[in-house]
Amino acid sequence: MSWSDPARRFEPAEDVQLRAELRDLLGLGPTVASAPAAPSAELATLANDLRREALRRRRTERKRPSWGLLAAAALPLLAVLAGLGTWGFQQKHRADDLALQTQRQEQELTRMAATHAIEVARERQAKEEVQQQLQLASRQGVGRKTEPYLVIPVEKPLKFQGEDYQRVKAKPQQ
Amino acid sequence: MEQSPQETPFGSEEAFHGAFAELYPRLVSYARRYGATFPEDIAQEAFVILMQREVRVEHPTAFLYGTVRTLSLTERRPMKNQNLSLEAVAEPGLAGGADDQVLNQEVRERMRLLSPTFREALWLFVVEGLSIREIADILGIPEATVKTRIHRAKAQLKDQLNPTGGVHVLV
Repeated sequence: MSWSDPARRFEPAEDVQLRAELRDLLGLGPTVASAPAAPSAELATLANDLRREALRRRRTERKRPSWGLLAAAALPLLAVLAGLGTWGFQQKHRADDLALQTQRQEQELTRMAATHAIEVARERQAKEEVQQQLQLASRQGVGRKTEPYLVIPVEKPLKFQGEDYQRVKAKPQQ
Repeated sequence: MEQSPQETPFGSEEAFHGAFAELYPRLVSYARRYGATFPEDIAQEAFVILMQREVRVEHPTAFLYGTVRTLSLTERRPMKNQNLSLEAVAEPGLAGGADDQVLNQEVRERMRLLSPTFREALWLFVVEGLSIREIADILGIPEATVKTRIHRAKAQLKDQLNPTGGVHVLV
């Protein structure tokens, strides 16, 4: 059995059968397993020459850099990247702190603004009340003759009493 | 898995010589079928490339066939005819060798009538005796695609044998 015989490569039976059918369709006939012929001297020499050439190429070919060499080459780059990463982390931490501080200041300002706004509103309301009282007071004073002196309003009695008036002239005699 | 310089892809030195004696003429013939100008050089280069590899190749036969195919197509690249595959099968003068003595005119005509894609898979499977897995490695396609191509080639061959239009089942 030849080394390249498909049966040696554990080919499935269905593939072997398919090959046989196809050979039949092509009119090739069944495969005859022939004994491997001994390699001729020329072919053996050629094989050795090719093998030597392959070994020579393998020795002289430019080797790919190993993993260790690649790691060593990448070390400075990794150090720079690590430094940049640390610096960036610190900057980010600092920026976060500043942002938090700014936020707190903003909240404080907002709170103070709200307090002031309440006070202003309260004062405004008090002022409006005073103005309303003044307006009311001035409205009550409309139609009266303003006197240059103090007038104390007195309620008039319902009926005249004798003592309430003074006779200034004697009663004419008839 | 690495391969020591003393070790060959085929095992011992004797096994390598035996494999070389059997494969080399087939690879030369295979390269010639692709229209290579220097098929011997291509076959030898394929062996050198295989043995040059430090990592062991799982399927050396498929690797050799694939390398010969690639080198042959690369040689033909300026001709922009890469879509043609094994067109030399129908031209007895181009592909001399043991296989041409096996393939008579009728077989060549049947192969020629197949579409190039199916012909390539059929050739590797039937004439070169490679497994589905090896053909998939050579052509760089899934095994299922190889099987499909072979089955379609079989259907086309049946059509050739039964041109009147008999019913056949694609198995």
